[in-house]
Amino acid sequence: MDYDVIIIGAGPAGLSAAGVLKDDKRVLVIDEYYHHGGRLLGQLYEESRGNWWNGMEIADELYGGLEGKVEFSLGTSVYNAEREGSLFTIYTDKGNFTARCLVAATGSKENSSPLPGWELPGVMTVGAAQVLTNFHRVAPGEAGVIIGINPLSMVIAMELGYADVEVKKICLPAANDINTATPKDALETLMGLSRSAPSKFLAFAGGVGRRLTLLHGPVLNFFPSGGVRTLGLPISIKERVVRINGTDQVESVTTIKTRADGSVIEGTEQEIVCDFVCISDGLSPVNEITSLFNLKHVYLESLGGYVPLHSEKMETEIEGLYVAGNITGIENAKVAMLQGEMAAHRILGDEAASEDTLRKINEERKNAKVKFHEDLDAGREKLQLYWLAK
Amino acid sequence: MTRRILDHKILGPRKNKIVPFKWNGETYYGAEGESITAALLANDVRTLRHHERDGAPRGLYCNIGHCSECRVTVDGAQNVRACLTPVRKDMEIRRQGALPHLVKGGGDDGL
Repeated sequence: MDYDVIIIGAGPAGLSAAGVLKDDKRVLVIDEYYHHGGRLLGQLYEESRGNWWNGMEIADELYGGLEGKVEFSLGTSVYNAEREGSLFTIYTDKGNFTARCLVAATGSKENSSPLPGWELPGVMTVGAAQVLTNFHRVAPGEAGVIIGINPLSMVIAMELGYADVEVKKICLPAANDINTATPKDALETLMGLSRSAPSKFLAFAGGVGRRLTLLHGPVLNFFPSGGVRTLGLPISIKERVVRINGTDQVESVTTIKTRADGSVIEGTEQEIVCDFVCISDGLSPVNEITSLFNLKHVYLESLGGYVPLHSEKMETEIEGLYVAGNITGIENAKVAMLQGEMAAHRILGDEAASEDTLRKINEERKNAKVKFHEDLDAGREKLQLYWLAK
Repeated sequence: MTRRILDHKILGPRKNKIVPFKWNGETYYGAEGESITAALLANDVRTLRHHERDGAPRGLYCNIGHCSECRVTVDGAQNVRACLTPVRKDMEIRRQGALPHLVKGGGDDGL
């Protein structure tokens, strides 16, 4: 046996798990990226007035506490995992490693809503633009259009603004079998953000939704067809991007206006000149590793997709296999960090710490600034019922 | 044009250690420790690859190793994901081109 515990994923969950285990266990942390931090890299938003969440600083703090105590294999791709007897074998492009316990903290990936022209250079996910802008400090372009109205795209649109990258429009994707978001969904997103807005901007954007609802009833009829501009961000919930144009790279997008119900108004096409486009269609759990085991996965839309069946203490049906972070459902980095600690407490058999962490997780969920899905709590409850009934 | 964000409103200024590398045989400069995708983007290079079948231009998309759109040749090794690979001094990076058709021939060398 090479290690006591192998952790796959050096993001908020994986690093936090390693932090709890570092003095008692021989730990290996594997990540495909060449730098620690996972999706913490790039995160930057104002939690409350003057109080910033800087994911890159958090990642460095977590990593700094592990140096010399935990082994890292970054830039390493895991291509298979097996369990024989009570030993896990992890197959990577840098060799194979064995351990008694495995923590799958593989995070999430971005969903993509395809539309004509989306393969052109200059089209990228909002997450790609985020990492380029805040971590690498390279602007994704001069002026861009964001397709998709959801918490992630709104937060990242703001982050682009901090770096003086112009966002010309945030609107909905063309409607088809895959993209079904309507102006009503977008408005609900804006309203949802107002409940626990992480910043003045989101509070304001949310305020627009709430105010219109209270005053007008059928809000959507009154939402300006050209969108609203709040603190520099042009949100247009009654406009869809129908295609992305360009020969060798993005040159413009074509939008079309819609009615309140999302149906398009013919003859309202407009061309917006831009040199990059971000597609944002939400996040879903990365479950390839857990799918390699004989493990039930449950589809819950409120959690972002298929998640491995697990207890609220991060245990799975397989002894020694734990999950933590966005693989358990899409939530913020603070929840992921606590989930990582939880997995580690279970590995150490620390009952008191597990109970305490469970309390903290529930507390954090209650206070979460950004909620990725309005039915998240119901989804978590359902999953817990599945676990108890397994 | 793309650009480096040297002074960020909230994150503050950053000084990069600049290293030379080769892109299709020509010398470019990148910041040490950044990914190949970031280094090329900072040089306004968006087309990282020509599609194997029809030669259409492709660039970075997901930037986290999932989509494999950013595959390049690095120091002779083909299909290296540029977004997962940090740029290093004197690295030789090449664009990959369309593959020849079995009967019709064709293809390109990526330049």
